[in-house]
Amino acid sequence: MDGVLIGSVYGLAAMGLTLIWGVMNVVNLTHGAAIVAGMFALYLLTSGIDMPPYAALPLILVGGFLIGVALYWIAVHRMIGRPPLMILLSTFSVNLVVIGLGTAVWGTGLFNVAVALPGVTWRRYTFSGTHILAAVLTAIIAGSLYLFLYHTRLGKAVRAVANNREAAELVGIPTTRVLSLSFGLGVALAGAAGMLIATMFPFTVLSGDAYQLKSFVVTALGGLGNPAGALVGGVALGLVEGFAAQFMPVSWTLVIEFVLFVVVLIIFPRGVFAFKRS
Amino acid sequence: MSDALLEVEGLTAGYGEVQVLWGLSLTALRGRLTTLVGANGAGKTTTLRAVLGTIAPWSGRIMFQGEDVTRLPAHVKATRGLVLVPEGRQLFSNMTVDENLEMGAFAKRGAHGYSDRLERVFTLFPRLKERRRQKAGTFSGGEQQMLAIARGLMTDPEILIIDELSWGLAPLSVYQLFGALKTLKDAGLTVLLVEQNVHLAFAVSDYAYVIAEGRLFTQGPPSSLAAMPEIRRAYLGL
Ligand SMILES: Nc1ncnc2c1ncn2[C@@H]1O[C@H](COP(=O)(O)OP(=O)(O)OP(=O)(O)O)[C@@H](O)[C@H]1O
Ligand SMILES: [Mg+2]
Repeated sequence: MDGVLIGSVYGLAAMGLTLIWGVMNVVNLTHGAAIVAGMFALYLLTSGIDMPPYAALPLILVGGFLIGVALYWIAVHRMIGRPPLMILLSTFSVNLVVIGLGTAVWGTGLFNVAVALPGVTWRRYTFSGTHILAAVLTAIIAGSLYLFLYHTRLGKAVRAVANNREAAELVGIPTTRVLSLSFGLGVALAGAAGMLIATMFPFTVLSGDAYQLKSFVVTALGGLGNPAGALVGGVALGLVEGFAAQFMPVSWTLVIEFVLFVVVLIIFPRGVFAFKRS
Repeated sequence: MSDALLEVEGLTAGYGEVQVLWGLSLTALRGRLTTLVGANGAGKTTTLRAVLGTIAPWSGRIMFQGEDVTRLPAHVKATRGLVLVPEGRQLFSNMTVDENLEMGAFAKRGAHGYSDRLERVFTLFPRLKERRRQKAGTFSGGEQQMLAIARGLMTDPEILIIDELSWGLAPLSVYQLFGALKTLKDAGLTVLLVEQNVHLAFAVSDYAYVIAEGRLFTQGPPSSLAAMPEIRRAYLGL
């Protein structure tokens, strides 16, 4: 099913959102802007300097990370420990600035990055090459994130800060730096997801909101603060989308997703696929 | 006092507008076990928070190894060997025993000689060795306190500060933990202990401070404090 391939990329985006939430209890409303930034970075790198599309991915990861770290210090750091609304407002205003600038430069027209990849046919299904490669790259990035979080000292420190920030500080972990690093990772994941989405679908400056909503639905499905759950939730959302598309026009998917979001929040406030957390 | 490892001078601190500490001074000597006792809400935990820097002191000075460390962030203090086992353990509950201990050794000083120290910690608390891959959140209170102390030891502390060693524990666990504390003290570790169980605390300590309402009430060797009528009545229940 194609939904699994596309959904895994939704999962990647949601992983960025959920990582930031898990580590610092911050709902990052620059998430959509980061996804769009990934899309346009791909567009600029391929059309501007003729870079092969997938070579842009490492650049976008690194650039997204650096921008995320900077964003942490600009918009998030001073809000930590203040009422949650403050962070929503400050990240939302960054979002508005980015989208505003994007609209001023590129307008709201449709963009498309042509990626020539042969598809694969299996029995009666044909999978597009970009969808397959996007899912494979998602798996690689998600796997790397897992290795980082569970098998490196710094990654374990990220989990320690997520688990108990004061205790982390007391064992000598510079927790503020870990927060900025985690924010950087979250933005890098969002940017990478945006880039991979742009290899599959056309996009506009305003696409961010729709994908940010998808990320929220995915985290609702997968459980907030749970990167592995995000991947499962993403695949589930991809399947729902693919299924719904057979019965109704594509323009309805957002409505379906929003309804799904609300229903899931009411019935499973801690996530459908939330793994047990102690 | 040339062998003072930690000196707190005229410490005041509080939360928001509320002042809790009103000019507290105390000293922990190298190689000794110093105890801080006081009623609920007297400000013991607040003192330790201000010493470690998880809350900012309002005024006063904290000297550690002869240096003024008053304004250093807590994680820097840990890297210098000023280590707190916090009230309520504060373990990394989603992480395994091994991971908790590894995080205890996050600072460079802890990373150096890691495996030797790990062996010593497991000798002290064999129970932890049997459960290395288990998550800390699944442990009983006594095991959690063992792990919290073990995590503190993995930092290779110059001074180990323990807030409420016996808090919420069954008598057998309390007995085991005080045994471990005695072992550590005999091995030469400097300890600053905050403890509700004044009987036990006095039995193991070299020197004690009694605080009341954020001020020093009295200080002295436990034997002489235990002879004071007001201490006997208020803290020893005699
Ligand atoms: N986070 C906080 N915010 C506001 N007030 C606090 C906070 N923590 C403690 N206090 C107040 O500060 C005073 C001292 O508390 P502290 O925890 O230092 O006492 P303690 O001596 O450690 O007591 P206990 O034996 O209960 O642990 C108390 O009146 C308490 O209500
Ligand atoms: Mg206390």
